[in-house]
Amino acid sequence: MTKLKSQLSGYQVRLERVDSHDLEQLRTWRNDPAVAQFMLTQDSISKQQQQAWFQKIQRDPSQQHFVIWYKNEAIGAANIKAYYQGETLDAARAIEPGLYIADPRYRGNVLAFAPTLLLNDYCFDVLATQSLVAVVKASNQAALNYNFKLGYRIEKQAELVEIRLNAADYQQHTAALKALLNRPVRHNEK
Amino acid sequence: MTNLEQLRSVFVESLGIDAAQVNDELRYNSIPQWDSTAHMILIAQLEQSFNLMLDTDDIIDMSSFAQAKAILAKYDVVFT
Repeated sequence: MTKLKSQLSGYQVRLERVDSHDLEQLRTWRNDPAVAQFMLTQDSISKQQQQAWFQKIQRDPSQQHFVIWYKNEAIGAANIKAYYQGETLDAARAIEPGLYIADPRYRGNVLAFAPTLLLNDYCFDVLATQSLVAVVKASNQAALNYNFKLGYRIEKQAELVEIRLNAADYQQHTAALKALLNRPVRHNEK
Repeated sequence: MTNLEQLRSVFVESLGIDAAQVNDELRYNSIPQWDSTAHMILIAQLEQSFNLMLDTDDIIDMSSFAQAKAILAKYDVVFT
């Protein structure tokens, strides 16, 4: 039985597996220069390319793609991919997560940590991967700093920096942040 | 000390910045000192200083000094 889940929730956010009705929203976000600038390629994506991508990921057991929801609004996208070729996500030794916040109200906000924590918990606790790997442009210092806060360590330093995170470092670096973003919701009547 | 002075003081101490840097335009991630770690310290000190416990939504929404005043007002902290 597969360990893969199509919906994750926690830390006030929800991740839902990308469905066909999400495609235009995702394409609009991905073609937004504010989002595209942090991607490895900035090419504009056509409707046909987006559709072909969707057909491919539906059959691909090495990756999962989600839309990030906060307060019942879609605010960004997240994905995970088996890092080593030929491995499936549910048996991957290492997983490469990716994420962007498209809604400008929440860019540069502590909320960005919520979907990251949710995704990382899923990778370590459910999929039982050994490590997470990220490849970040050396010029993207904000992303590097963000990942260092999560406990990532540099593996390879070049124009593209490869960083890696194991479960122990992750737990150690994020305990306080998790507690902060995981408080029970109170309904303030004032 | 007024509540506004107390709030400024918490920002200065939590973020390790000069009082002159604390104004309504001061935003999360707009200066290197206000990162996620400092944000956690800021929240802890705000709660201690004003004797309250913030909801997670308010912790997320507290993305500027101006926003901090608006959120604390919901917890009956009065700024004059």
